[in-house]
Amino acid sequence: MADRDLRAALRDFASRCNDNERLRQMNRDWTRTIAVRPSEDEPVFLRYEAGEVAVTDLADPDLVVEGPNEILCAIFTGETTPTEPYMDGTLLVRGSQDDMMRLDIISLLIWGE
Amino acid sequence: MSMARKSVSVSLGSTTRDHRAVVTLGGEEVVVERRGVDGSLAEAARLIEELDGQVDAIGLGGIDLALVVGDDRYLIREAVELAAHASRTPVVDGFGLKAVFEPAVIHRLVTDGILQAGQTVLMASAMDRYPMAHAFVQAGLIPLFGDLMFASRIDYPIRSIAEVQELARKILPEFTRLPFTLLYPTGSEQDAEPDARFGRYFEEADVLAGDFHYLRRYLPARIDGKVVVTTTTTAADVALLKSRGAAILVTTTPRLSGRTFGTNLMEAALVARFGLRYPDPDFAHRVMDSGLEPDIVRLGVDDHGRQGP
Repeated sequence: MADRDLRAALRDFASRCNDNERLRQMNRDWTRTIAVRPSEDEPVFLRYEAGEVAVTDLADPDLVVEGPNEILCAIFTGETTPTEPYMDGTLLVRGSQDDMMRLDIISLLIWGE
Repeated sequence: MSMARKSVSVSLGSTTRDHRAVVTLGGEEVVVERRGVDGSLAEAARLIEELDGQVDAIGLGGIDLALVVGDDRYLIREAVELAAHASRTPVVDGFGLKAVFEPAVIHRLVTDGILQAGQTVLMASAMDRYPMAHAFVQAGLIPLFGDLMFASRIDYPIRSIAEVQELARKILPEFTRLPFTLLYPTGSEQDAEPDARFGRYFEEADVLAGDFHYLRRYLPARIDGKVVVTTTTTAADVALLKSRGAAILVTTTPRLSGRTFGTNLMEAALVARFGLRYPDPDFAHRVMDSGLEPDIVRLGVDDHGRQGP
């Protein structure tokens, strides 16, 4: 159940990314697999390649974003920003600092302001 | 005989760049000193407490108290917390000089023919130096703003002031709450070898501008014939720019004993001298009448025998 909600949130997130010309241009050379892992469930994967992003079943991620399913869904639907849960330790991110920052910027460019 | 006034910059940057000099402002000498803390916020806080009440003004280096983009002001949480460690001595971050003096320097460079309308300027960050960015655009230069590239390594130059403002509104309310070390080179990162991944934008530009640590971090092997407009540079930085072919180096703060200091320290010196802070209405007049001058150096023939303009 938790996995289904998160997968839907990520599909919506991917769709918003792909509809955003600026994001496609910014990410044109960013090839990464991101595991979005709810604490209590299996991860869902996002794959960025040539400016497009899709929800996939690939493993071996470059970046892992881990936290309670509710928080992950809230972040990827723009209900909350990643900053607060990241700063208070609810959200764990493993990977390079650059990738983490970029994912943060992507979400802010979709939902910021 | 009265003691010279004193201003100290507490910089999150490397201690290898520490320095002390005397600057004459409005006919009076002010001691200016830069003290790095190698990226340690705790040491910066301790030093600010130690200096509070002992010096006339404190500059905050390597971090801004706020980013001001157009009419919007985004406070940087960690910097505000640092400044709060001083209760008696004013703490400034250089924005007063960036707002008042740096646009005047750009105007002068255009008047003197060092900069020309139609040239392309690669500016490390417009959000950090919005008044300078605005001055370049007003003067007719074509901007490439590197905020996303230099701070986050995203290959996306921002090409207009309007887009800077839009991105600032979306990104800065969140990013100013993050640890500043995520966004800006501090401590030993300031001495790291340059990473030339954005070399093509340097090549496209006639003018390289903005924070020197950002420019240095991504400096390509050759910058032949380019004008560099920046602030904090040591003798080694000047030698680096010359060896890579830069034609002219303009620093918006004066060169003292071989190096130029950050805007935060020069603003602290002005506050120490005149007892006024930006945005006091008299601050701008005092700054412009203080005798403060940019430093303009023609670096001349480069290592390949080519002559600068």
